[in-house]
Amino acid sequence: MNNIIEISGLNVMHGDLRALADVSMNIESGKIVSIIGANGAGKSTLLNTIMGVHAPAAGAIRFEGRDITKMRTSKIASLGLAMTPEGSRVFADMSVMENLLMGAYLPGAKKAKAGQLEKVYDMFPVLKEKSAQLASFLSGGQRQMLSIARAIMMNPKVIICDEISLGLAPVIIHDIYAKVKELNAEGITFLLVEQEIKRSLRHADYSYVMVKGRVVMEGKSSGLSREAVSDAYFGINQFA
Amino acid sequence: MLETLPQAIVTGVLLGGLYAIIGIGMSLIFGIMKLTNIAHGDIMILGTFLTMHITQSLTGNPIIGLLLTIAIMLAFAFAIQNFLINKVITKGAEPALLVTFGLSIIISNALFLVFGANTHTIPSTLVTTNLIRTAHVSVSMMYAVSFIVAVAVIVALSLVMNRTSFGRAIRAASSDTVMSELLGINTKHMYIFAMMLTVVTASIAGMLVGMTFPFYPTTGTQYLIIAFGVVVIGGMGSLLGTLVGGIILGLAQLVGANLIGATYQQLIGFIVLLVILAVRPQGLLSKAARK
Amino acid sequence: MGAVFSKIKDNLKEGIRENSENSLARKIAHGKNAKFIWIAVMAVLLTVPAYAGDYAINVMILMLFYMALGQMWNLLGGYAGLVSLGQQSFIGIGGYALAIVSEKYGLPAPLAFAVAAGVSVLFALVISIPIFKMQGVYFTIGTWIVSECLALWFSTWAWVHYAQGYNITVTYNLSAKQIYYVAFAVGIGSLAVVYFILRSKLGLALMAMRDNSAAAEVRGVELYRTKLKCFVISACVTGVAGAAIYLQQAFIQPSNAFGISWTVSMVFIVVIGGLGTVEGPIIGAVIYVLIRQFLYNFPGFSMVILGIIAIAIILLAPRGIMGLVQKWVSIDIFSVRRR
Repeated sequence: MNNIIEISGLNVMHGDLRALADVSMNIESGKIVSIIGANGAGKSTLLNTIMGVHAPAAGAIRFEGRDITKMRTSKIASLGLAMTPEGSRVFADMSVMENLLMGAYLPGAKKAKAGQLEKVYDMFPVLKEKSAQLASFLSGGQRQMLSIARAIMMNPKVIICDEISLGLAPVIIHDIYAKVKELNAEGITFLLVEQEIKRSLRHADYSYVMVKGRVVMEGKSSGLSREAVSDAYFGINQFA
Repeated sequence: MLETLPQAIVTGVLLGGLYAIIGIGMSLIFGIMKLTNIAHGDIMILGTFLTMHITQSLTGNPIIGLLLTIAIMLAFAFAIQNFLINKVITKGAEPALLVTFGLSIIISNALFLVFGANTHTIPSTLVTTNLIRTAHVSVSMMYAVSFIVAVAVIVALSLVMNRTSFGRAIRAASSDTVMSELLGINTKHMYIFAMMLTVVTASIAGMLVGMTFPFYPTTGTQYLIIAFGVVVIGGMGSLLGTLVGGIILGLAQLVGANLIGATYQQLIGFIVLLVILAVRPQGLLSKAARK
Repeated sequence: MGAVFSKIKDNLKEGIRENSENSLARKIAHGKNAKFIWIAVMAVLLTVPAYAGDYAINVMILMLFYMALGQMWNLLGGYAGLVSLGQQSFIGIGGYALAIVSEKYGLPAPLAFAVAAGVSVLFALVISIPIFKMQGVYFTIGTWIVSECLALWFSTWAWVHYAQGYNITVTYNLSAKQIYYVAFAVGIGSLAVVYFILRSKLGLALMAMRDNSAAAEVRGVELYRTKLKCFVISACVTGVAGAAIYLQQAFIQPSNAFGISWTVSMVFIVVIGGLGTVEGPIIGAVIYVLIRQFLYNFPGFSMVILGIIAIAIILLAPRGIMGLVQKWVSIDIFSVRRR
């Protein structure tokens, strides 16, 4: 088995609050892995900790065997980890084109810039249409696409997506997941965060269920039943 | 009074150019790291003293003096940003503000220790030359050069900010630090580069100021207020606004002095600034004001 | 709504009670021998002129003056969230009040203190109208520009002798001992003012302002009033201190009376001692005056050193020396840590 990301015994504190408790995960290379959980389960904290935005109190994160636990976020990104954060966070005062070029900031990505740009314009024709417009004029769905496209511009090995479907129409969600599959077929590993159990199990190869900062269930998506996940997800949560 | 008004307007606008280049570095630092650099005036005067000293002890050519000054100032910028300001920039506005305040005191007193309290000038033939001379209006070559250099620096900076990958990265870092880091941009490095850009403009401004006006180790504070005025009027972080801000401040001072009396030139400038601050706390031309 | 507010107030009172346990002065003040210690400190301070030489008395005078200035800056910067670089406005007003009362009109000097207080309060109220429209750093620089305006204006104003200023001749008839008692009154007075503010309703509002979660409850008009009260009180005491300081200095000029260096010293004193603590300005003032005296013949050098110390403290111990002391004291001696 070839794990591209290995997380072991991760603990993260937000002040006095324990946001992550002893989280361990193995993300297999070339797969789509999803993390399911309700609001406040610690999913975003986990993603941000992987990317070095939060510093863990204990535990280790390895990327391709290399310890990245205490690395600076920009350094982690340069190793080939891209993240689309919650709420897309496009640069509103830059054009769509400039946003995409920001994705190609790192030297490796800069070399592949022309080809990648063509690729994302192919995937998301609407971005090509609006390439000269300010990103602030895009709709929510288009911003999400721009965020993903910007991540692709980084030419990454792994794309980490925080709630890419949040607040989007079903048609657009469907569209975005289709692109995820497409990119995955090219060899990019995906780590997704989802609130919706059904969607998660349908698209991901492997799923983790998180409740209150802990991993309470994991397994191949094909081997997990919706009911079981639902029980884990709600069963404990109900009394929270 | 009326006969001298055209002269006041011309000089006011040209002086505004000089003010703009004094303020541009402060505007950059504020726009990029939301820091009000209290040491800005002193950093500029440090540049002035270095240019003067190097020019005097070496070739006598102020341009070579300026280039060597910039080299030294770049190292200085790296040091203060990397070892001091970057350490506190994430801990809220106050600590960073106080650090630059400390720097301001250190620089002005160090200059006093080295150069004494005397008034100095950087001699230049530009001061005594006139570009245009008519019955009513004359344009000093010095003021004209300052204005042209200011415009050139502002245009160059705008090009860097809007057309280059480096400029985009700086803009990205200023609008969303975390997202920029996620894209591989080391925001602390960007802050260092921004401080370096700032000292380059401050060194140029410092040389022009040193040629135009007498200076001494504590002059920096006076120029800090001018720089602050320029960026407040023009809108913090806006490059073009800096030029407009400089011209408004220069005009207010000289036209005001023309109407009320030359002794009140500085006082009028400050009062205009206070009024603008009170009426439009976010600046006349800032984004918030435009909305 | 009212119930919620009173509940929050109760919580705040509780919070302050807890907070006060962390304050060294209150530990002493509420300790078993509190009265004895306070009486002893006062007795020592009051009898200083009896056994100390003129040099020591003068050093003590400076410490008391600077402590008062530090307390007042701290009231703004440390408690009310108003970082001002314009406190020299009030020093200048106080100093000129003395000069004009005693020199220009030949009236008794004590009257100058009342005038200094009155004019400072008035000026603070007037200037607060534009200044309080400015937020954060705009306020910081705005206050400074006001001082610069005063300096420029006084330099061109015939009524105050332009930039030449005044010799304050009353001083010639005063001994160091007499000035010491003035400084004592100003210093201890400022301490008392801060102490009683923090224990009053105003103190509660200040604590609420500092605590973000409660800030929402104290927004708007009340927030404005709280800040304004601090600004005016601080102006008043700084003005009186300014008159007292120039009673000792015996010479006043716009450039030094309204100079930024006054506020530089206040900031250094508070930052070094500990922002937002009552003890901070005391410690800071002692250190500040000692360094200035020690390097008396190298004024530029002492400021460079103070600047370096201040930056080092901001970087390494953001809560100043008092922060370090509290940490140490509460763990090793009193061990009354919160939580």
